[in-house]
Amino acid sequence: MVGGAARASKTALRYLLGTCVPSSKQNAAKVRISQLEFNDHIHMHYKKYDFVYANDPKKLCKTGDVILIKELSNKLTRLISHEVIEVIYPLGDITDPVTGKKIVASQYREDIDEADKLLGKKDSVFDYSKAPKRGRLEGVRDFTHKKMYLKYYDDPHEPQPDTVY
Amino acid sequence: MNIIINNYTRTVASLFRDAGNFSRRYAVSIADYKINWTRPEQPSELSPERSGDLGLDVGVKPTDFAKYYSESGELKDASDIVKKMFTLQFQPFKSTKYLRKVKTVDFVRRNELDRSSPEAQIAFYTSKILRLQEHVKKHPHHSTARVDLKEAIDKRRKQLKHLRTWDYKRFEWVLEKLNLIYKPLPEPPKQIARKESIRRLTEKHCDRLVQDKLNNYKGELKMLQRQFYVEKAEKLAFIREEELACGLEPTVSEKDIEEAKKKAKECQTKEM
Repeated sequence: MVGGAARASKTALRYLLGTCVPSSKQNAAKVRISQLEFNDHIHMHYKKYDFVYANDPKKLCKTGDVILIKELSNKLTRLISHEVIEVIYPLGDITDPVTGKKIVASQYREDIDEADKLLGKKDSVFDYSKAPKRGRLEGVRDFTHKKMYLKYYDDPHEPQPDTVY
Repeated sequence: MNIIINNYTRTVASLFRDAGNFSRRYAVSIADYKINWTRPEQPSELSPERSGDLGLDVGVKPTDFAKYYSESGELKDASDIVKKMFTLQFQPFKSTKYLRKVKTVDFVRRNELDRSSPEAQIAFYTSKILRLQEHVKKHPHHSTARVDLKEAIDKRRKQLKHLRTWDYKRFEWVLEKLNLIYKPLPEPPKQIARKESIRRLTEKHCDRLVQDKLNNYKGELKMLQRQFYVEKAEKLAFIREEELACGLEPTVSEKDIEEAKKKAKECQTKEM
């Protein structure tokens, strides 16, 4: 019986939902898994984060995406213990699961378009149909895909590309 | 016995030669690693370098009419002197400021009345930041302007952060339209300290030493590879011959021998 319960708990834990954070690995995503931990002293639940590395050779996920990961039966490396199954909620491009419509924060995209039409839509408005895929400005204008750190030495021969001042 | 005595005298002599110091002679201090640390110069947090502004050409010239005057019918028929009076250079600075602001927001405006959308807000702040950065350069001790500028930069950063999580594609589009760079806040440590920096540099230096040694060793092994494959092919051929001569079933095929020869040739061409 005990063995059965342990197996059941293991199968239940096999799939996990987590948020993708900037990773320094090439073919693996760093995933932040949050869970609630009960504090016996204060009798309250507190959020606790675990970080795991998930194998992602196809580069499905980007920083900030909510992804589904699966525990591997054998670890690929010392760190990579999971694999990415699919992206559930891409960051900033969320579909409402109930209605199937695209949303922006708390509004439907359709409603925003409708309001723009009524108030006189301008040519300068952003067009979703012409918008390219996310990630074209990575390393050019948008530096959120990498961990930023403070510049800590001054050497013109060895520049530090991922720094802020 | 003689050998032992000789060795002993040599060690003692070397100890005396090294000034009688029994501690390790290498890497006693940071100077031995030849690591020179200089504190990186920090540009002002109000500078375009840190705020992420790459400049924006809104096309407002001093010879342009102030906002709303350009639409006036009476001004069209007026004389040149009157027309000149209503250009930006003869109007108060606030009219230039206003026109710049309107034209900046026009890059991203959703509709005629749009003032509150995130992209419009970001455009407002951008216009303000660009103006104040110019002003602060001229008047570096104008503290109210500096405070306003800092506030505007921080508020715009916050707006960009929210827009990124709400609507990524629009965020990227705004960055391109307003010619901005977005960098997230850095990981800790949030301040640069001498000791910590030197520690990190030393670590980097040691990693590099290890990598260099590994690369050298790999090169050495690569050099030996050709000789190894030549010998391997010879030995395999010998084994095969012997086995055939003894009337046994050969454990080595012709294919194996050819493969070894092929690899030897490959190594030779690489060396060339």
